[in-house]
Amino acid sequence: MSAPGTSQKPAVGVVGGGPWGVALALAASRAGSDVTLYSRRESSHAKAQVRTTGDYAEVARARLVVIAVPSTVAREVARALGDHLDGSHLVVHGIRGLSVDRFETVSDILRSETPVRRLGALGGPVQASELIEGRPSAMVCGSHYPEVLAAVTTAFQHSALRVYGTPDLRGLEWASALVGCLSIGVGFADQAGAGPGLLAALISRGVDEAARLAATAGADERTMLGLGGYGDLLASIRLQDRPEVVLGRALARGRTLDEAIAEAKLRVEAIALIPRIVQFAREARVPTATFDALEDILQGAGSATIIEKMFAG
Amino acid sequence: MVSDAPIFGFNDARADIVRTVIDRVMLGTKDPLLALNDAAYHETKRLEGSRRAADQRELAEWQKLARGLARTSDADRRAQLRELCERYGWDVAGNFDPRVFQVATRLMPPLVTALLAPSTFASMARTPSKIISLDALADKVLVEGPLSKLQRLVRRGTAVYVPTHLSNMDSIVFGYALERAGLPPATYGAGKNLFTNPLLSFFMHNLGAYRVDRRIKHNLYKDVLKTYSCVLLERGYHSLFFPGGTRSRSGGVERRLKLGLVGSAMEAYARTLIAGQERRIFFVPATINYLITLEAETLIADFLSEAGKGRFIIDDDESTRLARVGSFMKKLLGMHGAVVIRFSEPVDPFGNRVDDDGVSHDGRGRPVDPASYVKNARGEVTIDHARDAQYTRELGEEICRAYERDTVVMATHLTAAACFARLRSSSPAADLFTVLRQREAVTIPRDDLARDAVHLRDTLLALEREGGVRVGDAIRHASGGDIVEGALRAFASYHPQPVLRSGPAGITLCDTNLLFYYQNRLAGHGLAWDVIAPPGLPRAPATTVRGAAATGGAS
Repeated sequence: MSAPGTSQKPAVGVVGGGPWGVALALAASRAGSDVTLYSRRESSHAKAQVRTTGDYAEVARARLVVIAVPSTVAREVARALGDHLDGSHLVVHGIRGLSVDRFETVSDILRSETPVRRLGALGGPVQASELIEGRPSAMVCGSHYPEVLAAVTTAFQHSALRVYGTPDLRGLEWASALVGCLSIGVGFADQAGAGPGLLAALISRGVDEAARLAATAGADERTMLGLGGYGDLLASIRLQDRPEVVLGRALARGRTLDEAIAEAKLRVEAIALIPRIVQFAREARVPTATFDALEDILQGAGSATIIEKMFAG
Repeated sequence: MVSDAPIFGFNDARADIVRTVIDRVMLGTKDPLLALNDAAYHETKRLEGSRRAADQRELAEWQKLARGLARTSDADRRAQLRELCERYGWDVAGNFDPRVFQVATRLMPPLVTALLAPSTFASMARTPSKIISLDALADKVLVEGPLSKLQRLVRRGTAVYVPTHLSNMDSIVFGYALERAGLPPATYGAGKNLFTNPLLSFFMHNLGAYRVDRRIKHNLYKDVLKTYSCVLLERGYHSLFFPGGTRSRSGGVERRLKLGLVGSAMEAYARTLIAGQERRIFFVPATINYLITLEAETLIADFLSEAGKGRFIIDDDESTRLARVGSFMKKLLGMHGAVVIRFSEPVDPFGNRVDDDGVSHDGRGRPVDPASYVKNARGEVTIDHARDAQYTRELGEEICRAYERDTVVMATHLTAAACFARLRSSSPAADLFTVLRQREAVTIPRDDLARDAVHLRDTLLALEREGGVRVGDAIRHASGGDIVEGALRAFASYHPQPVLRSGPAGITLCDTNLLFYYQNRLAGHGLAWDVIAPPGLPRAPATTVRGAAATGGAS
């Protein structure tokens, strides 16, 4: 544990040397936490303010550990980190993703790969760049455990970062994943020349469908309608470099899916997720015109077909 | 007989236990006025409807208490509160005599038979050796699971058995299963209504049961019960809870639990740590599977009636009619493998698997110290109700998964599912009640039904290979015809109205309610129509078995 008594600063371990991990490490440091960052690469941003290590055992000295790695490696990181964790740790992840085969959330993965029970997730509209530059923003933490919400708030909240808590962990994880899908639509519509009215319709209708889908999966509808869903999606409008938005724009310019993926540079989880969501919605008899339209976008449909589909619901 | 189990010292410890409970409830009650008002409100409401003289007297007492509350001093309120706690504490504790217990468990199988089926008992009495032998039921009631592991674990910690609940026979059957498995007896909270029969009551007490009066709804009584259960666990009394709360009305395997008493285990464990005397607690889920259910008709009728939705206690069902119970027992005891009790793998209170030595292991098999889950930021063990409530919910989900994996499917469940799929396909897109109205309307050629049964059995076997269910031995290798025949015999032997009727044209589906009841056992597995999923839970997908075709063949 974090050498109790020797320091009043809350200890935080952050796993992930990418921009998101570094941003979270800096935010915690700015809030007065004693941060250890696990990273396999050197980061110029981080070096000055946080201790960096290549050893999971070092990160696990903190009771609160935050995981911010790409979803593709979430399981393997959880497994390796799990060797150094026990039931007293609080583990929170900031990973957007939902497994395609059984809609496993990242917290489900953490539950099966580590001994930790007190889990949580981070979401909401906050951007890595905002955290790195110290500009004011807002973040959501979801956990069934009040002490996790309290620990995250203590570790991260400061004058430029507000942490909102929700007990609906599953809802927040579903919201983050579904926002990823809808962001493709936002990029596409914007590039295809949609007016503000149409863009607003797309967002509102999409959020409404997503809320019903999440509720079907056992989440609280309101979570998708709040900061962790609607709020997160609204940020897409101005996020020209969000990978999902880049992908949507590329598709609207007539690129093939493969070319669009290459342009987005990052692996876009939503590509595999969208058809699964459509299937899930059909089984659950939830009408999802927007997600149907998204599926068509991925298959190369033009904007006319999509508007027709979107308004068909 | 494992006679070093703490229950055998219960008589000496009882006064101490009840005192601890009273003190702890008193200490935990911050506002006596609120507690007394709540109790008086609920008790007045309950007793107002009764015409019985004793209830009328009690009602008058409560009304008097309620009227005086505003004027009494805080000290007087505390005194009143203590008086109530004492009354409830002693009422719950009841009495237990280890000497009677020794005899009672030994005599239980024939005794249960005697109680319930006097004629069978008479025949047993002619061969006295049978009376002291448990073998009388050995091939009728099967006990399965990791028994030798459980035998080791109960010497290292406290076992909390959490079986599924279908019938009022469950507590007796489960007590018998413990004895057969070489496990020490467990205390459990039995509904007070089971104590009204003096003979049954005598043995209930002496089998380690404590009394739970489910008519009493107020928080003070619930606190006494939870605290009582917590204190017993702290002191190492193995316990039995039915976390379904009440018998499954639908016949389905529980998918949502009432976790009040389960939650007392988290606190009990933390308290042993704080006291510096760690006593590990192991949860042992189990399924109790019946070929036929004693109260099937009443339970499913209750499930289907709108008025029954809120009914928690049924005091006029088959289990209160001795002749019916007798006939049930006689039939049950005439059938091989008519009851299967299957113990699941034990888990710690945080859902971790436990090995033979009582060591907890996480999902990837790493050893983990259960004490770490109840520690705060400074590494101190704490009792945190919000945290423990969530641990309890997660444990509840784990228990439900164990139920699903360890449900033992029998001929009646399988045949009912196959029949119901046909019934449903004869009026597709209809709602449940329309489907159920088709009494005697559908006749299935024998060969077709046998084919459906085989298909469903093979689907079940595939699911079993993935660890998703257990297939009963009687149907594992049987032909489709034999499976259907087995179900027909079982239904006909007990249920007074025909469930299925065999005729020249085939099998006619008669009692659709009972077919629904028995098919529901497979609903949670996605192998039967799932209209019984509790609200808020996604329904079971149509079929989860890879490589298998659609459900039930006929759908």
